[in-house]
Amino acid sequence: MTPLATRDLLGTACRLGAALTLTAAIALLGVLLVQALGVVDVGFLAGAPSRFASRAGVGPAIAGTLWLAVLTAALSFPVGIGAAVYFEEYAPRNRLAGLAGSALANMAGVPPVVFGVAGLALFVRGMGLGPTILAAGLTLAMLALPTVLVTSRTALREVPRGVRDAASALGATRWQVIRRQVLPAAGPGIVTGLTLALTRTVGAAAPLLVLGAPAFVTHAPRTPGDILTALPTQAFTWSTRTEADFAALAAGTAVTLLVLLLTVNLGALVLRRRLR
Amino acid sequence: MTAGGPLGGRATSVAHAGGHGAVLRPRRGAALSERLAGRVFLACAVLAGVAAMAVVGVLAWESAAFFSQVSPARLLTDPSWTPLAEEPRFGILPLVAATAQIVAGAAAVAFPLGLLTAIYLQYYAGPRTGTVLTAAVTLLAAVPTVVYGYVALNFVTPALRGILPGIGAFNAFSACLAVGVMILPTVALLSRSALAAVPHSLLETGMALGAARARVLTRAAIPAASRGIAAAMALAVARAAGETMIVTLAAGNQARLTGNPLEGLRTLTAFIAQTSMSDPAPGTIEHHALATVAAVLFLGGYAVCALARWIGRAR
Repeated sequence: MTPLATRDLLGTACRLGAALTLTAAIALLGVLLVQALGVVDVGFLAGAPSRFASRAGVGPAIAGTLWLAVLTAALSFPVGIGAAVYFEEYAPRNRLAGLAGSALANMAGVPPVVFGVAGLALFVRGMGLGPTILAAGLTLAMLALPTVLVTSRTALREVPRGVRDAASALGATRWQVIRRQVLPAAGPGIVTGLTLALTRTVGAAAPLLVLGAPAFVTHAPRTPGDILTALPTQAFTWSTRTEADFAALAAGTAVTLLVLLLTVNLGALVLRRRLR
Repeated sequence: MTAGGPLGGRATSVAHAGGHGAVLRPRRGAALSERLAGRVFLACAVLAGVAAMAVVGVLAWESAAFFSQVSPARLLTDPSWTPLAEEPRFGILPLVAATAQIVAGAAAVAFPLGLLTAIYLQYYAGPRTGTVLTAAVTLLAAVPTVVYGYVALNFVTPALRGILPGIGAFNAFSACLAVGVMILPTVALLSRSALAAVPHSLLETGMALGAARARVLTRAAIPAASRGIAAAMALAVARAAGETMIVTLAAGNQARLTGNPLEGLRTLTAFIAQTSMSDPAPGTIEHHALATVAAVLFLGGYAVCALARWIGRAR
């Protein structure tokens, strides 16, 4: 093996590539943590944005992002999983159903900012909601829906045919097969997809900016009708400031958002273990 | 339920699925839930369709208003995009070219790095390095794009200035690097799944013939996974072209396009972000232009996703 291994150019290139990828991840995390270290404390997490960097906090933005996560999940998960069950278990195996399924799946390639433009016209202006948490939640739900649908369909498809046949042979009806066998078996895969869809959309700043998220919101949203504020847009606002103090605030906001997203991932991991 | 103890739930479900009472003589309620379930799932599918149609419809509606004032030919041939000028001009080419420049730069970073990382993870990494590297790639995938933009603007550009003194505060180079790292996980994770799906027998045949590992990989494994790898790269391109926050923060808002990566530029997405922040009044041509650019991005992203799904599926 050794004489061959020494000539393994591909292996060397792969090691180099992997090392560079690892370096990029470590550098990114390192830069953020070093910047955020002096910023993130209780006052920062509980406080509100301020003209003075030393007093500024992300309390309202955290509340806004939690609201958005709940609304996005509540609106997109049931519809996305339900549609996935329809296409995999109920839809007739014909061309029309196949085309409809593909047409919806391709929506997953549409950039998030486009959903912002649509949400602005549909919800902020069309329904007259204004730049509120509710308008943003509806927009993010539309953004998450294709991902929920595609990943749930994949998870359902991976349940072996034999599971359905065995249950049917024992006399179970279609809905019994789905409820008792297929959905539990696909559970871990579905949870993985939901996590991906939720973290992608809740971390998205572009659609919220297009909806007209104000740069300065000092009151935490209490209802979905309240004015929109969220961690990604807060990080953006502070990123555009040139003062070093505000750059550190942006890093603190970024780390807060990242911790929130990783918590969701961790929660999903635990849930997946339990479902398995 | 009670007799089953901790396994109660599972025990009942087995009893239900196989129990004669539930199967041979369905209760009336069961029949109702049976009919109801099918309808509810159909309703979900219809609702998903309605949401998609609403996006398409509103973009088409506003684009139609745009095209009543600017002809499609003008949009595609006019060499400049100056919506705020006294005599506004709407040629989308400069924006498309800027997006293409970002995509090309990002691909130059992410394609080689992502593919090499995928091959390393699948064939070279030991269990521990594999776990660490997978965690690192997953972390990169979880980082919101606004965070990449922040790092590009505040750290990558200043670092580049040490090497390239002529670089602007807003520049395409820094944005390309950041977008490249952002799409790297897409390339790496999806390529790795494609490599993992290559049948083991194929690799063993190569090894049995006495070929070195690198030869088996380049001649058998990678060609066998090439469709999946190509699909991964297409999806990564779609993400790079639709990326908004990195280019808005790090590449700036220069409408003129020089092709020089050390200068700033304005992509399709950055135009949308920056224009909507200035909150143009509904009904103005500027507002319609916003929807038209969004429609172009919609079509592009939709088409590339369709292509990726087709490449990935066709055998």
